[in-house]
Amino acid sequence: MGRYILRRSLQAVGTLFLVVFVLHLLTTFAIQLNGNPALAFFGDRVPSASQVAAVEARFGLDDPCFDQVGNPCLGPFAERLAGYAQGDFGTNLRGREVTDIVATAAPNTLKLFAVVTVTWLVMGMFLGSMAARWRGRPADHGIRMTSVLIDAFPIFVLLLVYRYVFSVPLSEWARSTFGSDSLPAQLFRPSFDADHAWASVLVPGLLLGLAGSAAFIRLVRASQLESYAGEHVRTARSKGLHERHVLLHHVVRNSSVPVVTAVGLTFTEALAGAVITEGMMNIYGMGGVLWEAVRGSDIGLVIGVVTILAIVTVVVMIVVDVAYAALDPRIRYE
Amino acid sequence: MTAVGQMTTSAPTGGTALRAAAGETLLEVEDLAVEFRTPDGTVRAVDGLSYSVRAGETLAIVGESGCGKSVSSLAVMGLLAPTARITKGAARFRGTDLLALRPKEHRRYCGEHVAMVFQDALAALNPVHTVGYQLGEALRARHGVSRGEARRRAVELLDLVKVPNARQRVDEYPHQFSGGMRQRVMIASALAMDPEVLIADEPTTALDVTVQAQVLRLLAEIQAERTMALVLITHDMGVVAGVADDVTVMYAGRAVEQAPVREIFAAPAHPYTRALLRSVPSLATRGAAAGAGARADAKAAGGRLDVIPGRPPSPGQVPSGCPFHPRCEVAQDVCRTDPPPLAAIPAEALTTAAPRAAACHFALDVLGGARG
Repeated sequence: MGRYILRRSLQAVGTLFLVVFVLHLLTTFAIQLNGNPALAFFGDRVPSASQVAAVEARFGLDDPCFDQVGNPCLGPFAERLAGYAQGDFGTNLRGREVTDIVATAAPNTLKLFAVVTVTWLVMGMFLGSMAARWRGRPADHGIRMTSVLIDAFPIFVLLLVYRYVFSVPLSEWARSTFGSDSLPAQLFRPSFDADHAWASVLVPGLLLGLAGSAAFIRLVRASQLESYAGEHVRTARSKGLHERHVLLHHVVRNSSVPVVTAVGLTFTEALAGAVITEGMMNIYGMGGVLWEAVRGSDIGLVIGVVTILAIVTVVVMIVVDVAYAALDPRIRYE
Repeated sequence: MTAVGQMTTSAPTGGTALRAAAGETLLEVEDLAVEFRTPDGTVRAVDGLSYSVRAGETLAIVGESGCGKSVSSLAVMGLLAPTARITKGAARFRGTDLLALRPKEHRRYCGEHVAMVFQDALAALNPVHTVGYQLGEALRARHGVSRGEARRRAVELLDLVKVPNARQRVDEYPHQFSGGMRQRVMIASALAMDPEVLIADEPTTALDVTVQAQVLRLLAEIQAERTMALVLITHDMGVVAGVADDVTVMYAGRAVEQAPVREIFAAPAHPYTRALLRSVPSLATRGAAAGAGARADAKAAGGRLDVIPGRPPSPGQVPSGCPFHPRCEVAQDVCRTDPPPLAAIPAEALTTAAPRAAACHFALDVLGGARG
């Protein structure tokens, strides 16, 4: 097991390096084609040559390779890696540390994630198990129809509809009925409020979780159906075990392997969804920060945030892989 | 190969006081019929099957794939697929009709009184639980045995089925066992609750020939020790010769011949049984064939192996009349129209007192022909 974790961790470091390198190549290429991002620092003002040079120096954009299209700019890349090694993820255009920005934004994202993960895990496991248990019955058909229906509404459509059709009237109604500081009024706010972080991420989180759970429901159903048909389930029944015991220890337990794999996949999906959700619901989180950084050409911030998100993703993947091995002994002993 | 003589002698009356006395009828299946719903309508997989098996004795149910032998035992265990339905019949364990019980109560008899060994141990054991967990699982869940005690019993069970190094192997997973050892684990798992009746569904089919013999010997030993009733489902007449006391030959969901093992090997009364015996490779049947046997075996032993022409009918398209008539070498016109009932053979046609039955219009001719 120890060796397995070590091997996966080494692979993860390799993956991370690749992500960072590709990210560097893409941004470098963008700078080379689109012109100097240091100009974004000055907004509408026209800076003098010395001012531009000073800003370029400050953000590490003074290397001549940024003017040569196609040059991979390995020098600045090495410098950045050296910075990462010391925990220095650079600054945004206003000189604020990326780590500092992430430290304030991340908790809101984590809250959103918590709501999302709980929603789709509960929805997926519950509805998926129900559909598998009553295969071919009305409950099964209903659940499958619902999951396809959810899939037909992408997250941004769900959010748009919620925000413009439901959120405003609901929050107005809640404010007039329960008072403007009441919980219902906070729940249906169309935008984020840092003072009521949990309340304002709840509904967007539920919606994002719902969108993610659609595919998850079908996966849980399929993997449990496979377990149901398994001969080991028949063996368990032949021992005279209670159906509930058989279900838990031989069906759900055996179908947990693909389900855990899906947790990793859905996590990354939720990450992408969070960027959209946070952007649309004005939630100040990682996604929101990234959204703003991209719009403001804040290259340093984009690279820093994406790198941190990549690290988080890779760590989640390792956790999933280790859980996978813990759940299925056949993988452990490969 | 003196296996026949050795193993058909009735088991020593050992075991605990709770054990059934050898000879007591433990499981009695009567007129069992099972239907399956398929896209092409319902098909009858088992049609009026009856058999009984006594403590300390082995009944072999023999037939080709799809003849309903596995389905009938799954019905007894209450493990049929949702598409299957038991349309009539009873399966009495010590007088209690298991099929008349509610599913939950039926389940309670499983493992405790009637247990089953499945064919493919790799698939039948759960890959994500240790062998020890699976052996002790029922004891823990049903008898509230503690974890440590269940583990101790698991080690005992592994010792019982002669898995070497049981103390260490109890913590391993099924995929770490060889095929033969895995089948032993499967047997141990069925024995965990000390059942009185063991149904073994082709327990050696997936194994090498040498390992097959070991596993069968083990089964016979354990059965004798515990005075268990054993229902051995197989398609292998060689296996039957080795361990069975009585034989039920099935064809197209029906029993076509029922007789003690010696009599059936000496003189089959149904053309299908005769054809089955001829199609066994000579090495495996040497013991049986030498015992006087179907004369035709001499031919098989000398040269090419006889095969039964055609294929067994699929349960959806059973021929009219006797289901075996398209493949039968003695079929007459009557066989195409009238299905023969499973009828007792008159005592005067028999050489021993043991009753036997065959479902053939010409059973006496076949029997006489075999005696030559």
